[in-house]
Amino acid sequence: MKLTRTKTFKAFAAPAWSNNPINMQMLGICSALAVTIQLKTAFVMTLALIFVITGSSLIISLMRKIIPGNIRIIVELGVIASLVILTDEFLRAYYFEISRLLSVFVGLIITNCIILGRTEGFAMSNPPHLAVMDGLGNGAGYGSVLLSVAFLRELFGSGKVFGVDVIPASFYDAGYENMGFMLLAPAAFIIIGLMAWLQKYLTGVDGKDQ
Amino acid sequence: MSDMAKSIVFAVCMCIVLGTLLTTAATALQPLQQRNLELNRKKNVLLAVNLVSRDKSYTREEIMTIYDKKIELFGVGQTGAIVEDDKISEEPVLPIYLYLENDAINAYIVPIDTQGVWGMISGYLAIDKDGSTVKGFTITRHSETPGLGGEIERQWFQENFEGKKIVDKNGTFVSVRVARGEVERQVPEEDKPHYVDGISGATLTGKYLSEGLKQILSKYEPVSIRFRDNRVEMPGE
Repeated sequence: MKLTRTKTFKAFAAPAWSNNPINMQMLGICSALAVTIQLKTAFVMTLALIFVITGSSLIISLMRKIIPGNIRIIVELGVIASLVILTDEFLRAYYFEISRLLSVFVGLIITNCIILGRTEGFAMSNPPHLAVMDGLGNGAGYGSVLLSVAFLRELFGSGKVFGVDVIPASFYDAGYENMGFMLLAPAAFIIIGLMAWLQKYLTGVDGKDQ
Repeated sequence: MSDMAKSIVFAVCMCIVLGTLLTTAATALQPLQQRNLELNRKKNVLLAVNLVSRDKSYTREEIMTIYDKKIELFGVGQTGAIVEDDKISEEPVLPIYLYLENDAINAYIVPIDTQGVWGMISGYLAIDKDGSTVKGFTITRHSETPGLGGEIERQWFQENFEGKKIVDKNGTFVSVRVARGEVERQVPEEDKPHYVDGISGATLTGKYLSEGLKQILSKYEPVSIRFRDNRVEMPGE
């Protein structure tokens, strides 16, 4: 069997591309607006989210047979919230400046609908190795969108990539200006909208199939 | 065991496991977090008097070196006299940071702790040795709404305060206030030196901050008056 045909690979690849949580399912957009002004914050946010989503998918999947059905959502939230708090505490201890930039948004990972959606919709009914791949896939899908948006916003908004000036000074001398609009939340909306359109065009989904 | 009992037992176990985990993590990481907060506090004291720049990053050692060299903590007695640290327990005093350049006072820094909309707003306000000109303002901690009141942490808002006067032309204390909107358009000409640009969508935060600054600065008036009259003495060396 080819690698790309295995269930494990599909659990990773589907959310990473063809069923991307942001572009295709339109989930988790609020944080995508907030933390994409700079690549640095978007990158840390991506890592934090991958950690939380993979960890909670794994834990929930391992416990899926013993979690009582009537309190499962609370159990899922408990696990997610604990992982988020751990991430937050860790950042505040080791990456203080970044934790200040991300401010409340690390805490708000708890409310990121992608994570609860994956634990409830996938991890509760699939074995751990698939759940982990699904978590990684969703993290990658979310992260790739976040980083692309942040790349465009930082490049056109501040003329930088990862905090390093990339637009040569001669451009500015010739009258080039950074687009202040890119630093505002509506810019992220427009970029995400265009990316969703592009991806739907590329994958041939036109909305009528759904 | 009934379903109900099973759920309750499961929930209790979950709480114990997660609670223990989080408590352990929080306790173990606390010293590091405290260290970061302390460093951030010192950095903000330095920022208030422009000893460090907002655009650059500094190592821990750099901040500590500048701080230890230039900043000293004293107390202010009720008469406005500056007293030594070790006399602090003898009379009620207000904390004051002095920015010393070659043993002469360049500016004094007042810690700001005031009620905001959702929680305390903490920061530092530096006033020049003339006792009336604001030298700088920084916010170290707040819990205002991100995107609205939370904008007080932005550079432009804090830099806004530089050069403002806490006294009017006649030398009467008026404090410095946050305007509703832009100073240029909203404030009459004679009041412009006492107002900073406000944040749209954050009228309440501005109001709380203005009131807080006024209250705190009026407590420090005795020492500010001494600075204005140029009769501040350093505590006995």
